[in-house]
Amino acid sequence: MVGKEHITMTPPAASERWSGVVNGRPVEVLAPSNAVLLDVLRDKVGTLGVKRGCDLGTCGCCTVMIDGVPKLSCLTLAGQVKDTEILTVEGLSEGAHLTPIQTCFATHGGSQCGFCTPGFMIASQALLNVNDNPSRDEIAEAIEGNLCRCTGYQQIIDSIEAAAVLHRGEGEVTSPASDPHPDPHPSGPEDPTMPPGHAK
Amino acid sequence: MGSYRQQPGSGKGDQRRDGKRVAGKQVFPPPGSGGSDPEMRPRDLDFIPETVGGREPKPAGDHIHDRDRTGTAVGKPMALVDSNAKVTGQAWYGDDVRLQGEAIGKILRSPHHYARIKSIDTTRVEALPGVLAVATGEDAPNRFGVLPVTKDEHAMAVDKVRHVGDLVACVAAVDEATAIEALSLFDIEWELLEPVFDPKKGLEDHDEPIHWRGKYHLARTNVQKRVFQEFGDRSLVKTPNAASHGSWTMAGVHHGFTEPHAVVAHWDPNGRLQLYTPQQVPHYTHRALSTVLDVPMHQINVVRTFVGGGFGGKSDPFPHEMCAAILARKAGVPIRITFDREEVYWINRGRHPSHIDVKMTADNEGRISGFDIDALIDGGGFASFGHVTSYYNGVLATAPYELGSFHYTGARVWTNKPASGAMRGHGAVNTRCAVEVGLDEMAEQMAVDPIDLRLANLLPPHSRTISGFRITSNGMREALTRVREGSDWDNKFRQLPLGKGIGIGCGFFISGSGLPIHWDPKNFPHATVHIQVDMDGGVTVHTGAADIGQGSTTAVAQVVAEVLALPVEMIHVRSHESDTSPVDLGSYSSRVTFMNANAAIRAAIGIRDQLLKAAWEMLGYHPNVLVLNDRRIYYKHDPAVGVSYLQALHKAQEDTGALIARGAYRSPPMGGVHKGAAAGLAPAYSFSAYVAEVDVDVETGKVSCTNVWAAHDCGKALNPLAVRGQIIGSCHMGLGQVLSEKMVYGRTGHLQNANLLDYKIPSVHEMPHVEPIIVESSDPEGPFGAKEAGEGPLLPILPAVVNAVYDATGIRMRDLPLTPDVVYKAIEKHLKKHDIDDPLDLVPPTLTHAPLQEQLVERAKEHEIRDRLRQRSEDTSAYVNGVLFGFDPNRPLSEQVEGWREADEPLPEQLAELGFAGRAWLKKEQRHMEDDA
Repeated sequence: MVGKEHITMTPPAASERWSGVVNGRPVEVLAPSNAVLLDVLRDKVGTLGVKRGCDLGTCGCCTVMIDGVPKLSCLTLAGQVKDTEILTVEGLSEGAHLTPIQTCFATHGGSQCGFCTPGFMIASQALLNVNDNPSRDEIAEAIEGNLCRCTGYQQIIDSIEAAAVLHRGEGEVTSPASDPHPDPHPSGPEDPTMPPGHAK
Repeated sequence: MGSYRQQPGSGKGDQRRDGKRVAGKQVFPPPGSGGSDPEMRPRDLDFIPETVGGREPKPAGDHIHDRDRTGTAVGKPMALVDSNAKVTGQAWYGDDVRLQGEAIGKILRSPHHYARIKSIDTTRVEALPGVLAVATGEDAPNRFGVLPVTKDEHAMAVDKVRHVGDLVACVAAVDEATAIEALSLFDIEWELLEPVFDPKKGLEDHDEPIHWRGKYHLARTNVQKRVFQEFGDRSLVKTPNAASHGSWTMAGVHHGFTEPHAVVAHWDPNGRLQLYTPQQVPHYTHRALSTVLDVPMHQINVVRTFVGGGFGGKSDPFPHEMCAAILARKAGVPIRITFDREEVYWINRGRHPSHIDVKMTADNEGRISGFDIDALIDGGGFASFGHVTSYYNGVLATAPYELGSFHYTGARVWTNKPASGAMRGHGAVNTRCAVEVGLDEMAEQMAVDPIDLRLANLLPPHSRTISGFRITSNGMREALTRVREGSDWDNKFRQLPLGKGIGIGCGFFISGSGLPIHWDPKNFPHATVHIQVDMDGGVTVHTGAADIGQGSTTAVAQVVAEVLALPVEMIHVRSHESDTSPVDLGSYSSRVTFMNANAAIRAAIGIRDQLLKAAWEMLGYHPNVLVLNDRRIYYKHDPAVGVSYLQALHKAQEDTGALIARGAYRSPPMGGVHKGAAAGLAPAYSFSAYVAEVDVDVETGKVSCTNVWAAHDCGKALNPLAVRGQIIGSCHMGLGQVLSEKMVYGRTGHLQNANLLDYKIPSVHEMPHVEPIIVESSDPEGPFGAKEAGEGPLLPILPAVVNAVYDATGIRMRDLPLTPDVVYKAIEKHLKKHDIDDPLDLVPPTLTHAPLQEQLVERAKEHEIRDRLRQRSEDTSAYVNGVLFGFDPNRPLSEQVEGWREADEPLPEQLAELGFAGRAWLKKEQRHMEDDA
C-alpha cells in the first residue's frame, strides 16, 4: 500500500457460512461475506494449487472451473457461487493417476516454473471437455486469458494438442511422467536372482 | 560371497585362469536391480558418443566427459523431474507455506519520491487490537546489498525514502484486514526532498544525492558507478568505409514472473530462524539475513520454496525478507508476507532504462574497425547488481566479432524510482540490440549481406576477445548458417514487399560468472554437490542450486543418472534447504547447469568409483574393463559376467554404510589485469543467431512478429525439451521488450502501469511461431559439453525484430519498445522528411551487392575451415582478437601497434570527446576534491 489513505476495516465484514462442492467433496467454511472465491479457496478450503498472480483478472493463474465453466476466482465473489461445483487443479487427476492434460503438460514442456500451470490446465481441460479435437488456433483462443512468462506458449499448445489425442483415447500413455505411482516397489526386486517380471 | 552370485544354477561360480574365483556367469539377460524395471535395458548407443564406441556424432571431437557417458539420460528430451508436483498443484510456492499460528505481515510503503523521515510515531498502530508487532528502520540499522561493494539497502528506510513504494515500516497482525488498517495509523513527519527522475540529470551535482558514498562519492552527483574501457587503436576508426551512429532510448522492463514475492519467517523453539522464500539466490539472502538480524549464519535456515519464475527478479536479498524475520522475532509467531502485483513493481530490479549511443565503423575490407559505446543506465533508488550491469553494458559486446578497437564509457545513476537490477540477459541485451542494428546499417552502407558481413568477422573457437575473455567452444558460425538456411534468407532479405520484413540478430552471453561475488575463487569453489547412496539404492543428491523453473534440478538428476547408469527416477535431488545443501551461489549469470552439473558429475564419479571397486572385488576384473549399464556392472568382453547395481552397492557398503561422495566446481584462472577485467569473465560463452520475420502495418504503426528461426549454441543440450523451452521462452520475453513492454513513468515520476493489465506482456496471440534450432559446439569444460541456454537466447530477438522492421519499411527506429505510437510517429516523420503523402508509397530498401560482398564470402569460407580445425583442436595455435587485422597473436599487441592502448581511465585529452555517460569522468571523487582543497 502506498500513501496514507485512511482505510478503516472495523467493523470487519461479518463472517458467514460458505458451502460448495470443491473437487467432488462437500465443503462448508466460515468466510467474510465480502470474500472473493480465490481467498476462500486458498485460505479456508486449503486448495493452495489455485494461484494468486495479480488480483486483477489479468494473469489467469487463479482460473477454476465453476459448474464446468472456467472462471477467474479472483474476480468472483464467493457469495455468488455458493453451492456450486468447483474444480481446482487438485481435482483434475483421477485418484493417483494423472489426466491426459496433466501428463502432457509434464512431458511436452508445458510447465516450467509451474506457477501459471494450474490456471492453464483448468482452461485447457475446459476446452477438451467441449472440443476433443481442437486446432492450434482454437487452443490459443482457449488460453488467451492466461499469461505464461516462461514457455512462450508454444510448448503449452503442444501439450494441449498431445493431451487432446490422449483424451480421445487414440494414444497411449507411455511416459513415466504420466503416473506418479508406477510401481509399488520402486526400488525393484531386492534379490536379483528373481526371474524377470517378478516385481510386476 | 554366496549372496553375490547371479543365479542359483551356477552357484559355484567360475574360475578364471589365474585360479581366482569370480561371481557366477549368467546365461540369460540378468535382471537389474533398483528402479522399477526388472530387466536391464540395453545400452542406448544413439546417446553414447562415437568417440567412445557409440553412435552419437561428435563433430567437435573428443570431450573429457565422453567416457562417463552411459547413454542413460543426457541428450534425451525428458519431463522436468518436479513437473508432477507442478501439474497436480502440489508445488509449494512462497505463499503456499502456511504454518500453524501464522500472522500476516504488511509493509508500509513511501508515498513520496524522495523524503526524509523526521519521525515515526507508532502509538496508534500498536494500540489497534489485533496488531502483534510493529517494526521500523530503527529495528534493523545494518546495511545489506547483493554485492559486497555496494551495500546500500536497509530492511526499512533509515533516514530517507528513495522512491515511491520504498519500505518505511511493517506490521504484523492477526489477519490481513487488521494489518491493512494498521498501515493507515502510522504518524510520520516527512521532509520532502527534490527528486531526480531523469537519468541524464543524475550526472549533475545535487544538494542531496540519493546515496552518499563518503570519500568515494563522485562530486555531488547521483552517479553510482562509472566505467571506462578502451582497447585497441582508435586511429583505425578515422577513415571508415562505413559508419553507423545510433542513439537509443530503451525503456525499463520488468521480469513479469507470475508469482508475486512472498516470504514466511518463523523462529523455531531453539531460536533458529526458518525462512521460506522463493529465491533464486538463497545463499545471498542467507548472508544478508545474518548481517541485518545480527544472527550467525548457522542459526538461520533458508528454505527455498518452488520459485514461480525468477528471470533475475528474485536474486537480490530483499528487504521484505528481513521484515518478515524481524516481525516474527517480535511477535513470536510465524509471519507471512505476500506481495500484491503492485508491490512487485515497487521492488522491481528489472532491466535498466537506458540511453545508449553506439558508433561503429568498418574498413575497406569489411572488417569492424571500431565499437564506441556510451551507455547511461538508470539504476533507480538502489545499487542492486548495478555495479556489474555497468560493466556488462559494454564488455559483453566485445564478441562474437573481431574488433579493431573497442571503447566503452558507462555510467549508472541513482534516480528516485524503483531500483533496477539483473534481468535475463543481464546488462547485455540493450547494447547488443544497438550493436547488431549498427552492423545491419553498416552492411546496408557497404551494400553487402549482413549475414555474410558477420560470417567474415567472427572470432574463432579457442580465441581471446579484445578485452581478454577466453572463448572456448564457439557455435556462432553454425548458428548463422542454420538460421540462414532455415529461414530461406537469401530469397527473402531485401526482397519482401512493403510492410513485410526479415532481420538478423546475434547474441553472445556468459555461461557462469568466473568470479564468485563473495569470495576469491581460490578460497572456495563456485558449486558443491553431495551425493549419498544408502542400501535401498536410491541416490540422494544435495545441492544448493535453485531451480526456478529452468530445470536445474532435472539437469543435476540427469547428469548423476548418466554417470551411474541409473533411471532418473532413482535420483532424488534435495535442494531446498540451506541446512542440508552445500553452499551454491544460486541461479544467476547462467551458471547453474555449467557449474552445478560439473560438480554433480564429479560427485557421481566418486560414487561410481566406489561401486566399480566393489565390482572389481566381486568379479575380479579391473574397473577399466567393467561397463556400467542400466543398474548393472559387467565385464566388457562378456556381458553375462557381472553383478547388479545393488550387489555392488551392498558390497561397497560392507564396512562403511551409505556411500557418500562430493564434487565441486571451480572456474579456471582467467582474464586480464585491468580494472573491471573480471566483469564478463566466464568459463564458457554461449552464442546465438536469430532471424525474425515481421509484419508492419505502415498505416497504423502496428508491428507483429510472425516467424522466428532461433539458433542457439548451448554446447550440448542435456535436455533438448528444456533447451527448446528456454529458447522459445526467451523469444517471448525479448519480444515483449522490443514490441510492447515498458515501465511507464509519468511526468511526476510516478510509475503508471504497476499491474499486468497496463504492463503488456505478450499473450498467446502475440507470439510468433518459433523454430528453435539447437547448435551443439561441445564445450571442453562444460558438463558433457553443455553451456547455458537460459539467458543468451533472449539477446538476438530484439535486433532481429528491429532490423526486420527496417527491411519492411526502410526506417530505422531506435526507441524501444516499438509500440504502434512510436512506429507511427517514426513513419510520419519519415514521410514528412521525404515528402511522401501516403505511407503505402514508402519504398522498402533493396540490395545490389557491391564487389566487397564476394570478398566477404571468400573470407568467410576460409574462416570456416579455420574454425573447424580449431574447434576440433587440430589447430591449437594462439588466436587473439587482432589477427584479422594482421597482427601476430604471439606478441603483445602493444608492441605491434602504435597507439595501442588498454585503459580503464580516460586520458586528459580524451575528456573533451567523451559521450554523455562518459562525462561522469569529468567529476572527481570526494577524496580527490579534498586533495585539491
